[in-house]
Amino acid sequence: MISFTEETRQKAFSTQRKPETVESQGLPHVRFHVEEAHLIPAGERPKKFLEAFAAILKHTNYRFMLDQYSRVSAKCARCSANCQIYETTHAPEDVPCFRSEMLLSIYRRHFTVGGAVKGRLTGDVGLTEEKIDELADSVYNCTACRRCTLECPMGIDHGLITHLARWILAEIGIAPRALVVSTREQLVGATGNTSAIPLPALQDTIEFLEEEIADYKGVEIKVPMDVEGAEYMFIAPVSDWMMEAETLMGCICALHAGGVSWTVGTQYYDAINYGLFYSDHHLEQVLHKVEAEVKRLGVKKILIGECGHASRSAKFFYNVFAEQLNIPVINILEVTHDLLKQGKLKFDTEIIKEKVTYHDPCNIARPGWVIEQPREIIKAFIKNYEEMTPSGRDNLCCGGGGGTVSIDELRPYRTLITGRRKAEQIEKTGAEIVIAPCANCKKQVRELLEDNEVPVELVGLHDLIYKAIILSDDGIAWHDPMGDDDWTPPDA
Amino acid sequence: MGVFEAEGGIKVEVDEDGFIQDPDVWNEDLAKALAKTEGVEDMDEEHWKLVNYLRNYYQQFGIAPMVRKLCKETGIPLKRVYELFPSGPAKGACKVAGLPKPTGCV
Repeated sequence: MISFTEETRQKAFSTQRKPETVESQGLPHVRFHVEEAHLIPAGERPKKFLEAFAAILKHTNYRFMLDQYSRVSAKCARCSANCQIYETTHAPEDVPCFRSEMLLSIYRRHFTVGGAVKGRLTGDVGLTEEKIDELADSVYNCTACRRCTLECPMGIDHGLITHLARWILAEIGIAPRALVVSTREQLVGATGNTSAIPLPALQDTIEFLEEEIADYKGVEIKVPMDVEGAEYMFIAPVSDWMMEAETLMGCICALHAGGVSWTVGTQYYDAINYGLFYSDHHLEQVLHKVEAEVKRLGVKKILIGECGHASRSAKFFYNVFAEQLNIPVINILEVTHDLLKQGKLKFDTEIIKEKVTYHDPCNIARPGWVIEQPREIIKAFIKNYEEMTPSGRDNLCCGGGGGTVSIDELRPYRTLITGRRKAEQIEKTGAEIVIAPCANCKKQVRELLEDNEVPVELVGLHDLIYKAIILSDDGIAWHDPMGDDDWTPPDA
Repeated sequence: MGVFEAEGGIKVEVDEDGFIQDPDVWNEDLAKALAKTEGVEDMDEEHWKLVNYLRNYYQQFGIAPMVRKLCKETGIPLKRVYELFPSGPAKGACKVAGLPKPTGCV
């Protein structure tokens, strides 16, 4: 670990740019018909913000939440004890309830009778341009890991307030460019996915993975494509098809070994849903794309690959946006765990000799959803396992949550401030390998370990499963052992 | 948006991260100039092998290949790719090969 000095702090903040105003051209239509920020004349932003806020209150049930929270918020700052950003910066503006108060005070002043009267009496001018800038900066400094909610004595979900504030800002055209560009490609682009992978490229990649599995596991496996009526539709974060070969091969091998009925849809194959990070409207539109593919194939369940936010946005928001679908959303770790419990997976327990630790992705661990399953899988074939402290529901965020990992210009901030506690925690376990079963966490933890000079290897859980699972009749898990880094082609 | 200028009369449009906007204007001189912005002073045989593979794959499929496929087909291990292009295959090598900036969780 490099030490945290005033110099490090300056480096972390120096390259931070303000969230950018999005281009209006080609953007999926904006609900509530609020114009883009650069089209809004100077001085009009507060008015537009309040219009968007009012429209959202009218069309959603966020008012109930704001009503409750704005009354009970005690501003006691106990949440700061659970905020890893505050623990690193010690800046009062990083206290979660300070951030929440920015939005709650706007709500009180402009949308409650008491607040309006009080404002008149005290001469409070209400929302200003400066307050909008402060809010925009603040909500994208938070990784929305929701660890603060565990500590709040009043039960306030600060993550939800940040989520709402980001949506209102997006409605007036303030959203990070990286998220908007990816979501635009997903919703109205030619390829229909966030990484812009065309179908022929996906098919070529799948053929390549099939060859790899045949070479190294000695078994011919076909990835089922467009199988109508399959039990599971497997949908990975699309970037995995470019970056995470081992993770996908591990998933393919586990599903094959378990004899699971599954398929990959060719019309829609991206589980990523950045709508969760900046706009409920886009969250809903992306879910409808998944829904259309589910209906086309007539599958029974949605199976999400190793990805936290994709799993959460599907599992917890289908009920809201696609209630007629009524279809279970399962994470791949749950399925692999089930197969293990049924005795369908065989592992070579000698292959992974390194000391291993496990990072809980916030989006699947905080709700208490996927915590024990991966640990039981790990213990089935890894002897040297070390738990992080804290972990499980109480885990620390990788530092790249809430969409910040996709924003490259935030990298120094992410690796030196938000993820710093995670880097310390990983180093403290003394592990040689850290598992992070989430595309978002993987990218962040790789950068985090590199920038903080912590020599630990980062993998997905299925990367290790791929190495250790026994598929062939000869009982050999691995025909040509190799690590990712020193990997050489078989005929070289 | 910006304009990237270099010796030899090179002048092309790039985005704010320095990725060229129009993949068709790419040529070897431009690749050499872009490589300098990535901290690669001299493009040697291995650099060209990666860049040419990326370019050919992109022309065929409209996207960069899977990282593992890139390593396998060129015979250059991932560790070596990072030595050749310090900012990695997605950001460094793709930029020099004139591919668009990768989006999403990449």
